Amino acid sequence: MAEFKPYTYFQCPCSDNSVSVREVGGANPAGQEETDEDERTFDPRAPRANYSLYPLEHLLYCEDCHQIRCPRCVLDEIVCWYCPNCLFEVPSSSVKSEGNRCTRSCFQCPICTAPLSVSSTEPPPEGLGAEYATVSGTYVLNCSYCLWSSKEIGIELDKPNSVYAQLAKIKNGGEPLLLPKERRKALEERREAGEDGSHIPGSKEEQELDAESHFYNLKSFYQEQLSDSSPAGALGLTGDYGYGSPGALSRIMGLYTSGALGDRKSKNKSGTMREAHDALEGLQITPLSASDAIARLCTSGWEGTASLSQRREQPHNPRFVSDLRPVANLLRTKRSKRCKTCRHILSKPESKVQKTHFRIRLVALNYIPNIAIRALQAPSAPSGLLAPLKPTQFLLTFSNPLFDSVRVNIATPAHTPGRFGSKVTILCPQFEVGANTDVWDEALGESGGKAGSEREKRRTKAEASEGQGQAEAGKIWERGRNWVSVVVEVVPASLRLDGPEFLKSEEQRRDAGPLREDEDVLEIPVFVRLEWEADVAGEEGGGLATGNKEKEVREKRELAYWCVLGVGRIAQD
Amino acid sequence: MSRKPAKGEYIETDTGNKVSRRSQIIGTTNIILGGKTVIQAEVIIRGDLLRTYPSSNPNEKQGTPVAVAIGRYCFFSRGCELRPPGKLYKGSFSHYPLKIADHVFVGPGSIIEAALIGSHVNIGSNVVVGKFAIIKDFVKILDGTVVPANMVIPSFSIVAGRPAQIVGEIAEGEIEGFDLREAYRAVGNS
Ligand SMILES: [Zn+2]
Ligand SMILES: [Zn+2]
Ligand SMILES: [Zn+2]
Ligand SMILES: [Zn+2]
Repeated sequence: MAEFKPYTYFQCPCSDNSVSVREVGGANPAGQEETDEDERTFDPRAPRANYSLYPLEHLLYCEDCHQIRCPRCVLDEIVCWYCPNCLFEVPSSSVKSEGNRCTRSCFQCPICTAPLSVSSTEPPPEGLGAEYATVSGTYVLNCSYCLWSSKEIGIELDKPNSVYAQLAKIKNGGEPLLLPKERRKALEERREAGEDGSHIPGSKEEQELDAESHFYNLKSFYQEQLSDSSPAGALGLTGDYGYGSPGALSRIMGLYTSGALGDRKSKNKSGTMREAHDALEGLQITPLSASDAIARLCTSGWEGTASLSQRREQPHNPRFVSDLRPVANLLRTKRSKRCKTCRHILSKPESKVQKTHFRIRLVALNYIPNIAIRALQAPSAPSGLLAPLKPTQFLLTFSNPLFDSVRVNIATPAHTPGRFGSKVTILCPQFEVGANTDVWDEALGESGGKAGSEREKRRTKAEASEGQGQAEAGKIWERGRNWVSVVVEVVPASLRLDGPEFLKSEEQRRDAGPLREDEDVLEIPVFVRLEWEADVAGEEGGGLATGNKEKEVREKRELAYWCVLGVGRIAQD
Repeated sequence: MSRKPAKGEYIETDTGNKVSRRSQIIGTTNIILGGKTVIQAEVIIRGDLLRTYPSSNPNEKQGTPVAVAIGRYCFFSRGCELRPPGKLYKGSFSHYPLKIADHVFVGPGSIIEAALIGSHVNIGSNVVVGKFAIIKDFVKILDGTVVPANMVIPSFSIVAGRPAQIVGEIAEGEIEGFDLREAYRAVGNS
């Protein structure tokens, strides 16, 4: 079993509206809520808890709402699109027109997803002057991970660059694929021919359309039908609402074809539309017999069948490995984040793709104390598991990132929730954590940092008289410049269910099933309440505030939230 | 054991590198260490795998050739290996330099054949980074990942799997966690 690492998860208050930050003395009546808050416990095992617990690093903080913000209560805004392989930015206009994939030469292996590289099919020149020889011949896409080659699907390229454009013109097997422009031309030519009566519907070539031609044919067919029928329908005024009606269809198509239908010349004819009746008009007949597919299955076998994850990457839902195509890299985004409540920006990255700086980055780490967990004694069992029914002490270290000292109140239920309730006692539930001093000496060069940590050590020694490093009720364990350690004592529950009936908890009597996954993990819900006085003038609006620095306005702040401490696994006896 | 008290596990260089006496560094003249880098026991660095193909850039300095360039505050855990990548190009085989920026952590037993690793990169244990891979800044590669050759991993990615795939994004608050100054200071010499 992997070693258990203690963890602290924070609950974002957005998952529960009744827990909210209040300005002390504000208009918000506190009385009623206060009692609710104190009585309510939080069960970290509840299915919903999974969606509201985060490591502190994943949380942001809104300075205007004075509240924690999690991925569920922020709005993402796309700053730019880029290809994760070539790292080129893609303007949003081309994302709209070309789709969300890289249109350069970035492709992933359809078998294993590793990047494909272009290589020449010619053997490399050898001997004297080899480096001056020009490489000729055709190119293939190769996967260096699973050794797949585009040769396997019969695709060879004429040049090593603009692979996307080249692939758009080749079918698997090497037959040319029509580009939309050529397709339109061919369609018009054939239509003219069809009007002459020389058009033979149902020829083999026409019946099998690829996805692009299929869409194109259908689109142009229905556009024509629409222009032949009432233009009033385009505005939805004809009053018929059926899906087959020209009006409804025009509205639906308008959604996908950005209003190009609007300027069609009107013929002022109203009537029903007919449906497509050959491949030229986009009709594709689904083969009712699967005999073709079965025959292919028989010859290609299991190895020749595409896996579910391979099929999911492909737009045309292929059944066989030989139908797979190289997958163009999906674009990625850089996003800024806004508070959902007040719309202020909480995080804004630099817009250049390759830059990693943030213009704005309000992370919760800089606003609320982190809680580190450490066992006070080395675990007795070599497995590192917690011995049931044996009191074990843990050190919780609260480190304050704020430049104001913070009063901390912590509370836990006497027994952890669930079938196996472990007894929990916090020896010192109330304490004050000193202010963080300027981080610059730590950040600038490490000579300053070193001196700082030594200073801290000395100070810890001087102040050790306060805590004495003894697990005593009402006393903190140890204190530093901006951190405080307190002891929490836990009596892990026994995981046995065969004990005498009178010893069993209510939950155990109700459910005597076997131990479930992670039910042996001892998780302690902790309610944390912070109170501090913030320097408002210094905080709001930076430059503006410097003028009236003399009248320092201090404001009482309060923040309360649930945390979950994962302290260890209980041994099964 | 009768080891002289002055001789610790690490040799400390003028620029503050802590290099284990039990590491294997081959071709030291072709290796640049930026300083404050920790190289643990059984780490192998192949400075001998030099570029033999002439550089296309004539302006490049003709001084001592560099096979492996490492920045500041890097941490190479026990048993990892750094190898400059090599390939056949226009008929001749050559190695190419392996460049590693600052605050790069490489876990135990991992093999690195990348072309470039940016700053603030955390590579787990038993990872293979294939030939000519490019890893940008602020990337986390989970234990046991195999990064295929030529793969580019953009900034703020979490990568896992065989072959590697991007499985997540680095959150805004995780950025500070990549700093390796504390890890460097924590390495005692005894
Ligand atoms: Zn939230
Ligand atoms: Zn690309
Ligand atoms: Zn592959
Ligand atoms: Zn807000």
